[in-house]
Amino acid sequence: MKIFRRLLLALPAVCLAALGPASGVLQAQELAVPASEPASPAYPELAPMPVNGSEFSSIVRVENNSLVPDYRTPWNPGRSSGGTGTGFLIAPNKFLTNAHVVSNSRLVYLKKVGDPRPYKARILHIAHDCDLAVLELEDDTAFRNVKPLELGSIPKLNTTVIAVGYPIGGQRISVTRGIVSRIDFQPYSHSSVDYHLTIQVDAAINPGNSGGPVLQDGKVVGVAFQGYSGGVAQNVGYMIPVPVIERFLTDIQDGSYDHYVDLAVGEFNILNPAQRRALGLPNNDIGVIVSALNSTGSSAGLLEEGDVLLEIDGHPIASNGFVNINGEQVNMNEVVERKFAGDKVRLKLWRDRKTVDVELTLKRFLPYLIQAAQYDQEPRYVVFAGLVFQPLDRSLLNAHGITDLQVRYFFNYFVSENLYEEQPEIVVLTSVLPDAINTHLGKFRHNIVEEVNGRPIKSLRDVYEALNDGKKRDYHVIKCLGQGLPIVLDAARVEEAQGRILKQYNVPADHNLES
Amino acid sequence: MPAPTPDPMFRLPRRGPILCALAASLILHPSFFILPASAAPAPSAENSIVRVNVTSQKYNFFRPWQKDAPASRRALGAILENNQVLVTAELAANATYIELELPDTGEKTTAQVDAVDYEANLALLSPLAGESSILEGKVPLEIASDPRIGDTLEVWQIQDNGTARITRGELVNAEVASYFLSSSLFLSYQLKASLQYQSGSFTLPVIHEGRLAGLLLGYNSADQISKIVATPIIRHFLKEVRKDKDAYPGFPNLGIAYAQTLDDQLRGFTGLNKDQGGVYITRVLKDSSADQAGLEVGDVLLQLGDYAIDPRGNYDDPLYGKLNLSHIVRGNAYVGDRIPMKILRDGEVVDITATLKRKGASEYLVDPYMFDRGPKFIILGGLIFQELSQPYLQAWGDKWRTQAPFKLIHAQAYQEPYEEEGREKIVFLSRVLRTPTTLGYERLSHLILTQVNGKPVNSLTDLDAALRQPIDGIHHIEFSDFPKIIHVDALEAEQTNAQLQELGIARIKRLD
Repeated sequence: MKIFRRLLLALPAVCLAALGPASGVLQAQELAVPASEPASPAYPELAPMPVNGSEFSSIVRVENNSLVPDYRTPWNPGRSSGGTGTGFLIAPNKFLTNAHVVSNSRLVYLKKVGDPRPYKARILHIAHDCDLAVLELEDDTAFRNVKPLELGSIPKLNTTVIAVGYPIGGQRISVTRGIVSRIDFQPYSHSSVDYHLTIQVDAAINPGNSGGPVLQDGKVVGVAFQGYSGGVAQNVGYMIPVPVIERFLTDIQDGSYDHYVDLAVGEFNILNPAQRRALGLPNNDIGVIVSALNSTGSSAGLLEEGDVLLEIDGHPIASNGFVNINGEQVNMNEVVERKFAGDKVRLKLWRDRKTVDVELTLKRFLPYLIQAAQYDQEPRYVVFAGLVFQPLDRSLLNAHGITDLQVRYFFNYFVSENLYEEQPEIVVLTSVLPDAINTHLGKFRHNIVEEVNGRPIKSLRDVYEALNDGKKRDYHVIKCLGQGLPIVLDAARVEEAQGRILKQYNVPADHNLES
Repeated sequence: MPAPTPDPMFRLPRRGPILCALAASLILHPSFFILPASAAPAPSAENSIVRVNVTSQKYNFFRPWQKDAPASRRALGAILENNQVLVTAELAANATYIELELPDTGEKTTAQVDAVDYEANLALLSPLAGESSILEGKVPLEIASDPRIGDTLEVWQIQDNGTARITRGELVNAEVASYFLSSSLFLSYQLKASLQYQSGSFTLPVIHEGRLAGLLLGYNSADQISKIVATPIIRHFLKEVRKDKDAYPGFPNLGIAYAQTLDDQLRGFTGLNKDQGGVYITRVLKDSSADQAGLEVGDVLLQLGDYAIDPRGNYDDPLYGKLNLSHIVRGNAYVGDRIPMKILRDGEVVDITATLKRKGASEYLVDPYMFDRGPKFIILGGLIFQELSQPYLQAWGDKWRTQAPFKLIHAQAYQEPYEEEGREKIVFLSRVLRTPTTLGYERLSHLILTQVNGKPVNSLTDLDAALRQPIDGIHHIEFSDFPKIIHVDALEAEQTNAQLQELGIARIKRLD
């Protein structure tokens, strides 16, 4: 499920990859969980945990070396960084870990319990939307006799689990114990925009536990992945539960990861009696109203704003948006969460005071990605006369510290106001590399590019093509959104300045249009 | 681009600390005025200025039915003819009680505001009818002729014991800057003087050769510079007030924003030659003086009135040298005056003429400021509706530009789309009180209204009318954002309103 409105992340969750000394700013902020947290107190009713040496040997320390792109110098390869986390064998030569442990990776090594040698691994599949990844070793000889861990199911509330891993960067394996505190939809902080089923435990889960198994009765009931840095809560750790893991493993069976799918609607509770009366609904606490509809999502053309959703795949939808599945109250989106691209979902609607049945085919909704953190992508850019143009996304906004109101508006409302229809990509003039040709243009920094040489801008490629169309002209004219003053560049002077600027600022190429 | 504001120019950053406490530098100038022996006494600090004590109370924009705690301030006002006293408007803003106090005897009388201009930061006070005797025998100040750079000015203060303290300083600079509202630019003087504040006074008269030359707005102790309302602005204000105070027209504005033309490439593109000055017009406010004169975005303004404009947007003022062009419109021109302009359009020089007008604060889609009246609001069963104003956003504190609700900040900054929809004001749901009527809506806030009961809501008055016509006993309230529409039981809302009044919300609407 994606956050379709500006539902801000009320719960500041943090990712839990521990970082080596080379760690940089980007990941350091994910380390908000204090490293010196005291160990959980012993539980008086401790049952002997069925953990033995062989299960330990399937749990590996993951060491990642990464190159993190710098969106302020998008032409550079990035900043080397690294971190450690945990992973575990789930099938012959298949190791499961968190996506955030191996993001932006250049080299990954796995280390086995009691074995000093690092084994070189590679990433088979990485899913940033549910923070999971599968790795394999170049040579898995060392693990051929190790038994993979088995997946269990959703543990019951108030039952004991243990988290196993390499927290706080330690070389030796660590085991912490706690109980299952809550099962709920929660934001997955790695992508910044995804919500999925999450299980909260009170076992100490610290940076470095990320990607490690949480076990009950010797079976995996979750992957430890994030903590809570709100400062108000204690003993809160989160794990990715089995349904999310199984969905990921099923998705990649065909050799590629196809991501989550969505209804791409925003629904609003119908609790108010006057609202129910106005809509002609009986007073039975059933139904939520479609209040936002994304024009290119799965529901486009089939649902309308104002429709009341009564049932999803035969499950009645309560007026607070919950459905009952196998005796559990879960968010109605959980029905869609377990499906795949191309799957169908049946909805019963209330429209014009009549029930209507629709069946829609689920697909991925891409525009929301503007608000998602970017990983494993080469930043795209165009440099022209020292003006740097880049497409808007979360990484860009953060790297440049953009506070411009128009840019923030396009970022915040890109999805909810369907702005992507007109402008699939928002191009921002992010910075100016100072030179005689642009010495008066610094004031245009952080503006949205609307038109270049008469061509409306709908993508970064448009900017590049409009500036390099080979037509003879005296001036290049760039119009920015909401600015009465155009950017004017003398075409003859640009030709002479372009090479000089690229050389001076060590920019290897004037553009990169492919990520 | 910045929001349309009641000033014709780009906003300048507001100057540093206002009314800083002065470090303990006791440099005394024991040079009191000596009264001449002639029959008509000359003006003096003892005889021509008066203490002004003001209690004011701000309206609360989050709970619009109530006012905040009252606060008091003191100032020194300049006694003018007709028993009137000139102070800054900021002092008199939201006043609930004003009194004049004679510095020597301590005698007091209640006063009223005769005229006020918050943009020019000037207010004229007078004793309430029948109580003018307190100013009898006082010597009114005349208005000085414009002082020049290098002239010596005096800041008049009264010590606690009733005697004068006069500080002399040099007028070192004149520039166009904001006085009190960051959006309004006026000529202001800078006086270099080591000043020590007496009795925590808020406004001080500034004198040139025995006549009133300005009002001191603020003092920066670090560089010993005072900022002063300039003489031409005071003269302009008094001239208009004395003509007809009930039809006070205010200071005109052109209604433009512009950019400098220092970039050769821009100059080449617009066809400006090497010797021409001029500024590039980047915005023309709808129905403004400039709009009605036919000025367009992309024109280059070469000459305004008698003055050539340089590429930075300044002109050569005969008295003060390089000044921002806005002073041409505000210094000696008045609402209704015709002012010629030379512009460069498509490479041709064109002559146009603007008839100067002023757009009042409440004529804007989003009021840039609001004093002496409470924000308008309507409560419907716990839903609180208001009209968007800059003071509402500023209620989020100094960082309101990042802390106030984003959609409202954006609407304030980019008003044209709303104006094009025909809105007079932006009406929004500010918050929701938890009542039986608002069940399910408790978490909604800061949603801009589009329609209520099928009727467009272009002002709070529209909303009031629309709420008289529920559909089958239910109000249909539509927003531009999620959740787009909510419904409220009309009868229940009325009952809830009655209960809210019992619970201490004194009134459930204000539309005046």
